[in-house]
Amino acid sequence: MTESEKTTKRKKFTTISIPTPLFKKVKERIKGTGFTSVSSYVTYVLREIVAEKEEEEEPFTKEDEERVKARLRALGYID
Amino acid sequence: MSKKVLIIGLDAAPPELVFEAFYEDLPNLRYLMENGVYARMRSTHPPITIPAWMVMVTGKSMGKLGLYGFRHRRPGTYNDIWIAHSLAVKEKTVWDILGECKKQVVVIGVPPTYPPKPVNGQLISCFITPTTEKDYTYPKELKREIQEKVGEYLIDVVFRTEQKDRLLEQLYEMTEKRFKVIEYLMTHKPWDFLIFVEIGVDRIQHAFWKFFDKQHHLYQAGNQYENAVKEYYEFLDEKIGKLLRLTDSDTVIIVVSDHGAKRMKGAFCINEWLITKGYLTLKKKPENAVSLEKAEVNWSKTKAWGWGGYHARIFFNVRGREPQGVIEPENFDSFRKQLIEEIRAIRGPNGEPWDTEVYTPEEIYPNGKGDYPDLTVYLDDLSWRSAGTIGHNMLYLPENDKGPDDAVHSHHGIFILYDPNKKIGKKIPDISILDVAPTVLKIMGLSVPSDMEGHIVKEAFT
Repeated sequence: MTESEKTTKRKKFTTISIPTPLFKKVKERIKGTGFTSVSSYVTYVLREIVAEKEEEEEPFTKEDEERVKARLRALGYID
Repeated sequence: MSKKVLIIGLDAAPPELVFEAFYEDLPNLRYLMENGVYARMRSTHPPITIPAWMVMVTGKSMGKLGLYGFRHRRPGTYNDIWIAHSLAVKEKTVWDILGECKKQVVVIGVPPTYPPKPVNGQLISCFITPTTEKDYTYPKELKREIQEKVGEYLIDVVFRTEQKDRLLEQLYEMTEKRFKVIEYLMTHKPWDFLIFVEIGVDRIQHAFWKFFDKQHHLYQAGNQYENAVKEYYEFLDEKIGKLLRLTDSDTVIIVVSDHGAKRMKGAFCINEWLITKGYLTLKKKPENAVSLEKAEVNWSKTKAWGWGGYHARIFFNVRGREPQGVIEPENFDSFRKQLIEEIRAIRGPNGEPWDTEVYTPEEIYPNGKGDYPDLTVYLDDLSWRSAGTIGHNMLYLPENDKGPDDAVHSHHGIFILYDPNKKIGKKIPDISILDVAPTVLKIMGLSVPSDMEGHIVKEAFT
């Protein structure tokens, strides 16, 4: 790896700490899966959670929307 | 000294009750009328809670708001809908404009204000809130203050029930708590403008109209709920009186409703009718009454379908617009014209003529944006509600298709304006729901944005 590649890599990635037992558990879990490293798996899981959070910023979650629809149905505003 | 404004919103309060039938029994509202100005207020097309309140507080028509009801069809789908919410309102409300001018505001229960958007003050959202477990206030901490004050805050009640005593308890509990919260905010938070909507008025009318209206086809003389609606109005009037005593002589009081209400004559099965006309085709007839969404519709042989509600909405199945559209775009106008004529010709269950109105989007939403229906229909001037369900084997239902409901909406709500520094006491000609926002801004000494569509109620300033 050249120095400039290292710089690019440094800019795009950073290191976070997780407890060693958790690291070991995750390492076990990804055996035989498409995930090649604990980092790629953790990144995948976090992205999922962050995306979910972003969805929550919509006016209603799926569950809430169903709840509101049921109420509006009971109130006669929708079929 | 600049004026403050308190807006008391009574959802669905009709002039026939407030100005006439209950007038003598509502001393506080009567005082406001005897000393202020009051008028019937023409609601939106159609007269329904969402969007009527937002039209009132933005001074912008439904077409400009792109808000046409509680639900909207997602374009290009048959059954996919989106529910109206605060983020869909892109125009500024009066409280947004006042907030920008450093005025402090309190907003309670105006539909739709969920999810709560930031205001320069306090906001409690409306009955679109999924549950009170959600954040339904701005700022978030206000929710905790409300809980400390009244325990569980009731956003709404479900009125379509035969358990009338339980419903009455809930209605009174909800309103009692709401007024406690209003009083708390009036006395503990700074405000120049305060608006609240009490949805209980609409609910009690829907649930108890047949018990007091002798013209109602289900009225029974001497029933135990004969005075339920009137007593609720008296209770409200007393609560309003308490609020009035908390205001000073610089506070102008405005009492409004978003639309009126009247007795329901029955429900008309709009989709069943479209089936008999050959415009809607099913693959299989349902054994029990089901919603259109659950029915097996043969879309490739369907030209139009309808939605239920206090008015009917009709959608056309147009080639290139709907997934299995059958009406050629060049035939759209002629088909529409024909269907309008046929809907206008619908008669009542005993062959009596109906006063049915049918509107195209161009007529009621010129330059309207968003997802409006192809036709808006008021069956017998809204006296018959529209039932969207299929499988009743009849067109006319004496009761609503989804639980007891005795009332429908009517076109005129109420407007009362009282300035403690003036003694007017005059009923003035009808005003428009669009006139409220500019009138509020004028009272509070602000200029009226040129794109607000209504007019200042001049009689209030004489």
